[in-house]
Amino acid sequence: MGSEIQIAMYMTVILSLYINISICMYGVISKPNLIKKLISLTILQDSINMFLILIGYRLWRPGIVLQPPVLLDWSPTSEVLKQFLERAVDPLPQALVLTAIVIGLAVNIFLITVILHTYRHFGTVDMDEIGRLKRVVIVEETA
Amino acid sequence: MKGTRARDIIFITLIIFAITILAIPTLLGALSSIPPIDLRTIAINYLNNTYNPFNQTLWTSSPEAVAAIVWDYRGLDTLFETVVFYSAIVAALALYREILGEKDILKGKGLSVIVQRATAVSMVGILVVGFATILHGQLTPGGGFQGGAIAAVTSVIAIVVFSRLIIDKSRLSYKRLLLIRNAALVGIALIAIIPIIPFMFGDHTFLSFIFQNQVKAVNSFSYPQIIVDVPMGGSIWFYNLFEGLAVITAFSLAIIVVFYSEELSRKTIEGGEIGF
Repeated sequence: MGSEIQIAMYMTVILSLYINISICMYGVISKPNLIKKLISLTILQDSINMFLILIGYRLWRPGIVLQPPVLLDWSPTSEVLKQFLERAVDPLPQALVLTAIVIGLAVNIFLITVILHTYRHFGTVDMDEIGRLKRVVIVEETA
Repeated sequence: MKGTRARDIIFITLIIFAITILAIPTLLGALSSIPPIDLRTIAINYLNNTYNPFNQTLWTSSPEAVAAIVWDYRGLDTLFETVVFYSAIVAALALYREILGEKDILKGKGLSVIVQRATAVSMVGILVVGFATILHGQLTPGGGFQGGAIAAVTSVIAIVVFSRLIIDKSRLSYKRLLLIRNAALVGIALIAIIPIIPFMFGDHTFLSFIFQNQVKAVNSFSYPQIIVDVPMGGSIWFYNLFEGLAVITAFSLAIIVVFYSEELSRKTIEGGEIGF
């Protein structure tokens, strides 16, 4: 019975992350405001990072010694190493997410500067508005 | 208006479709058993070798498996990720190339004295936490990226609380920050190629690897394993230090540039026609 609830909760989390990701994609594609696009993009990044961390998660089951999943003994015996393996989670998704977050931050800073420049140039961050402005200028030049 | 409604309906249908497409394989077990009970073999191998004094040709002498994967087992990946990070900041700075390093026109005063004193105290705390995270990256969760991101918060709150004038007054000018950042990146590259320097200068009996950390089967080169009784993680400690410095200075540079006053920033788009 306990495991059924666990599976249901785990599935709920995964499905909610799927929904989050697709709503963020909708925001990135559909919203004409560049700031709203950026907000959607940051939430999308964080949802995907959350999802990756969740894949590396491991069920805590009875029989495992209740200790933090880090190696506490710096001159370990092979017995200690075995116990560490039993309670450790997957480190690979964490290593991936670690660098993804910082690079995402750097790319976000670049996008923010581009949006700031767009605003200074056109006086608006609305993509539809910018398109209309450009169309008016093109019509004036060709007339 | 009618067009937007039709577009929204199409989008909602597509979202529901995409979620269903993703959810069905997940329910059928595409992500292995749910929730996962056992580790994958590759994770077991990494965890088993990271701090295993009984097999010193494969260990990294770092009890933190994530730091070991990031800077040792998959070190080249991280090097290229650092390049991406470097390029993104360079691209952001290049948009402001006409005013980089200039003093701001606006002379701000910042917030009230109470806020300024409180911030000055907490800034020291944030810096200490950041550097502790960087320097203990091989022992506890943390490292260059995270510690650098923590410490970079100081430059953000400094600009907000003390106004941008503090940058023009302080000795951390644009050029010095850029110098520290480039020095840190050169440091990363140097630590990576130090093991192969004897081979480069003609000693062809000394076979070693780029990004080598600990002793391998073919040679005896090794970065410091344990100092006093603390595992140093060999090159991981140095990589964390340099990466931390690079991240702090990169974000500080970006924040300094974004916070230029509006009048000065408009110089960057002068000459371009409005509308294009």
